[in-house]
Amino acid sequence: MGYDLTIEPLGQTITLEDGQTILDASLRAGIYLPHACGHGLCATCKVQILDGEVEHGEASTFALMDFEREEGKTLACCAIPQSDVTIEADIDVEPDARNIAVQDFAGTVSRIEALTPTIKAVFVKLDGGRAMEFQSGQYVNLHIPGHPELTRPFSIANAPQVDGEIELNIRIVPGGAATTYIHESLKAGDEVTVAGPYGRFFLRTSRATPYLFLAGGSGLSSPRSMIHDLLAEGCTQPITLVYGARNRGELYYHDEFVALAEAHDTFTYVPALSDEPADSAWSGARAFVHEAARDHFGNDFRGHTAYLCGPPLMIESAISTLMQGRLFERDIFIEKFISAADANQVRSPFFKKF
Amino acid sequence: MDMPTTKKKLGIKERYALMTRGLDWETSYQPMDKVFPYAQFEGIKIHDWDKWEDPFRLTMDAYWKYQAEKERKLYAILDAFNQNNGHLGVTDARYVNTLKLFLNGISPLEYMAHRGFAHVGRQFPGVGPRVACQMQSLDELRHAQTQIHSMSNYNKYYNGLHSPTEMIQKVWYMSVPRSFFDDAYTAGPFEFMVAIGFSFEYVLTNLLFVPFVSGAAYNGDMGAMTFGFSAQSDEARHMTLGLECIRFMLEQDPDNIPIVQKWIDKWTWRGIRVLTLVAMMMDYMLPKKVMSWKEAWEIYFEENAGALFNDLARYGIKMPECAKQAFIDKDHISHQAWATFYQYSGISNFHSWLPSEEDKDWLSAKYPDTFDKYYRPRFEHWEAEAKEGRRFYNTTLPQLCQVCQIPMIFTEPDDPTQICYRESDFGGEKYHFCSDHCKHIFDDEPEKYVQAWMPAQQIYQGNCFPEGADPTAPDFNAVEEVLKYYNIHNGRDNMDYVGSEDEKNFAEWRQTSTKN
Repeated sequence: MGYDLTIEPLGQTITLEDGQTILDASLRAGIYLPHACGHGLCATCKVQILDGEVEHGEASTFALMDFEREEGKTLACCAIPQSDVTIEADIDVEPDARNIAVQDFAGTVSRIEALTPTIKAVFVKLDGGRAMEFQSGQYVNLHIPGHPELTRPFSIANAPQVDGEIELNIRIVPGGAATTYIHESLKAGDEVTVAGPYGRFFLRTSRATPYLFLAGGSGLSSPRSMIHDLLAEGCTQPITLVYGARNRGELYYHDEFVALAEAHDTFTYVPALSDEPADSAWSGARAFVHEAARDHFGNDFRGHTAYLCGPPLMIESAISTLMQGRLFERDIFIEKFISAADANQVRSPFFKKF
Repeated sequence: MDMPTTKKKLGIKERYALMTRGLDWETSYQPMDKVFPYAQFEGIKIHDWDKWEDPFRLTMDAYWKYQAEKERKLYAILDAFNQNNGHLGVTDARYVNTLKLFLNGISPLEYMAHRGFAHVGRQFPGVGPRVACQMQSLDELRHAQTQIHSMSNYNKYYNGLHSPTEMIQKVWYMSVPRSFFDDAYTAGPFEFMVAIGFSFEYVLTNLLFVPFVSGAAYNGDMGAMTFGFSAQSDEARHMTLGLECIRFMLEQDPDNIPIVQKWIDKWTWRGIRVLTLVAMMMDYMLPKKVMSWKEAWEIYFEENAGALFNDLARYGIKMPECAKQAFIDKDHISHQAWATFYQYSGISNFHSWLPSEEDKDWLSAKYPDTFDKYYRPRFEHWEAEAKEGRRFYNTTLPQLCQVCQIPMIFTEPDDPTQICYRESDFGGEKYHFCSDHCKHIFDDEPEKYVQAWMPAQQIYQGNCFPEGADPTAPDFNAVEEVLKYYNIHNGRDNMDYVGSEDEKNFAEWRQTSTKN
């Protein structure tokens, strides 16, 4: 089994599990479809079937009318595909999405560098001189050698313009099987497989607005890739990176960003440390990322497009700060891995992405 | 020769935008603010109506098709239900009293909602909300109509359903739901949207809708249940409209935030007070109960609305202060309300009864902290009195809250043995309130609430007697005359369920449907 579901206008295809509804599969693949009641009564999740067969399931006869069934409509929350299916959903067309097909790449670990006491940079050279095409901000699934079941998503830390080698910055998670293996056992010369590129976190260049990147901890990978990408493409919009870590020892690629800011008038770098000893030589902000951003912009973020990467608490605080500084959902993009736990939370339908 | 070009297919959103945007125009021989006079006087600042995002994309063409099929299905089921004497299949004719409450007290509000949305739709300068309000206005008219049709079948067999449009304007307790809508309808267009579109249709709708529809399902009323499903497919659209309107106001200008907060506070409390009637219905009137009011409150308000207010916090909107009191009140209001209707069922259009032993045990289990301590003794006292031939009917008119118009029956949040009284002075007069929150609402707009039509005061002023009644006559019976004015048939529509015509008829008809 395992039918394919293609979602227009994104043009993205995902593989379904047996008995999975269109809504469930889409949300788990990180594609937001409008929905509300979740059990076939409210019709918020109505989509058009362009091709294929579905079982309408529990869809209420008042929420999905007979004439609509004949016209090929279905309710995504109840519809279970009975073949490969293409749907058209009421979602935004992303002019900047390139929808690059996911592929498996065999590669070899070329080197491993310690960036901080808890973060290592793993460089993977793809076999046969292949290059992976991706959009900056996207991630790959890294298959841990010798553990076929063990795969983890990591954002690509280098710009797409860098050929043939993929850089992943990996923080050790205490007790985490995969990151412990990477930190303690993985070495140069090991063979690994990466699958990608995944994710809908990419630059919205067609908006032609100033860029604001808020990054915390090991969430720096995507912004770093995106900023190098923008500068390499000769971007003329202002770019600001607010990047926070606990202390100076955990703040990596600091010198690189200081140098970039000196070399490019359009790039501003605002580092912030939240737990740096008071008597250290640090002259930058001693604050959390959201506080440093608010101070730097005087609580007014209007006109920007913001990209957020980091731990959940940092993202939460950053969203609130941006909104109170008058930047709203349509201008905020978040790198988020949706897990099964997220789908079961009681949440209001007020926000789509948050 | 021209090269053939492949055009990219447009997405649903783009197609809809092309079809619906740019239909509007700037007026030329009258200034825009004269054409839309109410758009600014509430203080809400809108800079760009194009930032309004239609929460659902429905064209009028599809709308008609959609509603027509709904009607066909609904009426097919209603007809079948009626032809099969479905009303004899309900658990017990006491259930019909919940319909009397709903069809007299709520259905006319659907009609008021229809008028309200037609009115505010006209007043919005933006084309997006204007069309959305037009559709909702039509939905509400349909809801009123279909409910009246459902009612007409019950009206053939049961008492108290014969005059809803008259009763909503006259009967004392009906002023609670009616004044709620009058308050909303006489506000500006943005406040109306917060009052009805957001607080009522979004924050509180599940507490009105789910209890009645599930109550119908649990008690064998297929007709009302089907109506419920037919309406729910509209409600989803109504809810998203309310949400979008809130989002739009909050994002358009930071000065809107305190105004919206004030309205959310006010209308959440106004809604909670009206829902007292639902609380009572759930805990006391359904022969077969769905869940307790307290349980419904915890799921639909504390959990679901809690999640919503967490999201709104990002805009700087806080959970209304009144939620704290509602959290305490959930243990009390249904008991206090039913005790009131028991005492005043001499002047009501539906019957009352005392909870059975089984009912009381259910209430003890659902309200372990309050029922046995505060309310069981009261009901048992009345039971003993009734056995002695002294069924207690209260003939003294209660003092009413100037804002919610509910009799002063609620207790102090920190002391359930003390009635809560609040008052304010305005224009040399004293006004009374059931709670801090109703007083607060009054104090913010006293000029509005001093005009309230208060049923108890109106009776005392002699405005609720039929034409030709002579209060100075020696044999003048005020209660009799008020009932005539209300069009309530004394001894038939009112008082105890036990011994009523409804009870007798139901038992007889049910028998004839199963025996020869």
